[in-house]
Amino acid sequence: MADTICRTLRDGGLEGEHAPALTIKDSKASPFGFDVFNYVLTQLSNYILAGKSQSRGLVVVAYSRSPSFYVDLLKRRGIDIASSHDWIHILDCYTDPLGWKNWLIDKDISQEASSLSSFCQDVRNLDKLYSLIIEQGKGLIGQGKDRFSIAIDSVSEMVRHASISSVAGILSNLRSHDQVSSIFWLLHSDLHEIKFTSVLEYLSSMVASVEPFNQAAFGQRVDLENLSMLEQNFRKGKFHVRFKRRNGRVRVMCEEILVELAGIKFTPVLSEDEIINQRLLPKVSIIVLS
Amino acid sequence: MKAAQTPHKKEVPCVFGRPPQLPITKIIRLSAALLARHRRCSTPTAALSLPPRVCSLRPESLSCRLSTIYSWHFTGKTKLCSVDAAMATTKPRLSSFSRNLSAVSSSQTPGVKCGPNGTMFVSSGIADLDKILGGGFPLGSLVMVMEDAEAPHHMLLLRNFMSQGLVHGQPLLYASPSKDPRGFLGTLPSPASLKHDKSRDRESEQEKGLRIAWQYKKYMGENQPNFDSHRDNKQDYCNEFDLRKPLERHYFTRQRVNCVGIQDSKNLAALQEHCASFLAQHQRNDGSCALAGRIAIQSLCAPQCEHSNMDWEMLSFIKSLKGMVRSSNAVVVITFPPSLLSLSSTKRWQHMADTLLSVAAIPDEDKELAKLLSGYQDMVGLLNVHKVARLNTQVPFILEATTFSIKLQKRRFLVLECLNQAPVDGSSGSSYGTSGSCSGSSKAGTLDF
Repeated sequence: MADTICRTLRDGGLEGEHAPALTIKDSKASPFGFDVFNYVLTQLSNYILAGKSQSRGLVVVAYSRSPSFYVDLLKRRGIDIASSHDWIHILDCYTDPLGWKNWLIDKDISQEASSLSSFCQDVRNLDKLYSLIIEQGKGLIGQGKDRFSIAIDSVSEMVRHASISSVAGILSNLRSHDQVSSIFWLLHSDLHEIKFTSVLEYLSSMVASVEPFNQAAFGQRVDLENLSMLEQNFRKGKFHVRFKRRNGRVRVMCEEILVELAGIKFTPVLSEDEIINQRLLPKVSIIVLS
Repeated sequence: MKAAQTPHKKEVPCVFGRPPQLPITKIIRLSAALLARHRRCSTPTAALSLPPRVCSLRPESLSCRLSTIYSWHFTGKTKLCSVDAAMATTKPRLSSFSRNLSAVSSSQTPGVKCGPNGTMFVSSGIADLDKILGGGFPLGSLVMVMEDAEAPHHMLLLRNFMSQGLVHGQPLLYASPSKDPRGFLGTLPSPASLKHDKSRDRESEQEKGLRIAWQYKKYMGENQPNFDSHRDNKQDYCNEFDLRKPLERHYFTRQRVNCVGIQDSKNLAALQEHCASFLAQHQRNDGSCALAGRIAIQSLCAPQCEHSNMDWEMLSFIKSLKGMVRSSNAVVVITFPPSLLSLSSTKRWQHMADTLLSVAAIPDEDKELAKLLSGYQDMVGLLNVHKVARLNTQVPFILEATTFSIKLQKRRFLVLECLNQAPVDGSSGSSYGTSGSCSGSSKAGTLDF
């Protein structure tokens, strides 16, 4: 199922259609959202390098990690960094988001990362950020009709410096841009009001939720009875995805995730899970003839 | 026994007998034979007239067996009434409190039809929705559609509404939170070029017997005979739109189409001004309707709009718009996602609407739902009707059903159908515990006398 998400982002959108958008949301109970984000980022990078995706480039808007982190991540995944400047660009909103440290810029990031990244020193101005993203993306793909993908880590950081409507505006505008093939972002849902989470779900075509493996064990006191269940929650989780299909239907899928040092693994759910789409079932009124 | 063969095409076939000579089973068999000949009854109700003595003998059992036969003609109840009363009930009735609907004349204005209580209707662009709502959208009313965040079905309603207005030459004001609202006009559907043969009507005529008695509503005639009495007018009033064929450009370049973007506006003042000037051109003079207008506002509280967090301003805008449209020959359709509003705001918006609809997504590849509902494979979503506008009257409009499935016939034509439960098993008549066959069982029934 995670591969299904990656394939959907790989295939992009049709002509005249909004780009597919993925929201990855997690919470304190199951904080594996960033691992999922890295997995999707790596998969999409592989597709771009192999020439199998609609997009020819990737712009990473880095709020919560430095550009050096992403360079190291791609190296660990065996992705060629030497030619990375042709297909990936990192917009650094992490080092100096508010423009406070103009004199320390050259010392903060490695040389390798600095060749792939550029600074955004005013994350409060989302119009300027939008222009920067589009400019960097066009710089990767040239003047043709090619497209590029966008990864935002994370919108929780983005909304700290801007209003909900402006964040929704930039995401909506990015989705509707002709040269954007796909876009995905990370959200920590328990940091926000329900309204902001609802807004992002409204703007997305796929919503991936990371939930605790043992929901009942979360929040309870640690004792011998639930220790094993709590330990499972430290490494495992459940991965629910809701796809909004083009025909107007919603496809709901579920997998289990296991987080290891090497990365995250997705395994299909073996047993029948609880009915997760009950709320979509219509109330059918059966007319009984008297 | 004397049976009314075919008293009148629009009258209900009645059976009345004299119980001492005629067993009940024979009455049932005769009724089945008569109705087989008059299968397409134009009136929705049927009255089975029996002398009181028959009625007093286990009416529940009798009505159960008779309703199996009459199921495609009944509204859900079997009426056991006297002969005199049966002969008197010749006119169709919408509800217990409905007035006698006399034939109404169609309006001279194209795309506008006269309705009861001095109201005038414009088509929603979806014939099934017009029937459900009792004729269409009344002029001077506010229609609100609650979106589902997981499905774009509100766009289907909006597209058909806008296309219908443009085809009739009715001015249109369209407001959208997108960057290029005018680009949306290119997605409007065009009227179907060939007369679309509604295959579902053909299927309903096939002989199925009692097996499909549970889908009797498919075979019921029009509940609103006045609006469909003239077929030509109906075709002009509501077109059938091919969703795969874009509307020709001359419809929205020649007509007065005004597109307004609401994303970049700081508040709703500009939109209110646009609406006010549009409605001022369609003020209602006494009894006359020169040209109807249509306003379509998509996703009013979309999150990318700056006014999306101004709850009271949005409510004030809707209230003002409702007041303006009430005195005009126009219809306003507003779609909004209730999941992005607070519960109290949602309730207030729902209260403001004259007609309130909602769309919902359905899960894909759901085996449980496929077993529960027939026609699941063709469904793309659900439509709920929460409120129907009733202007100039206190009589409520009682809907027979409130939830409808949205289907795309041949992936082109939007249709709405009542939800029907899929058969539990293949046999029929087993639900009553006894055989439902009326083919002349030799076994004497307990009702025989």
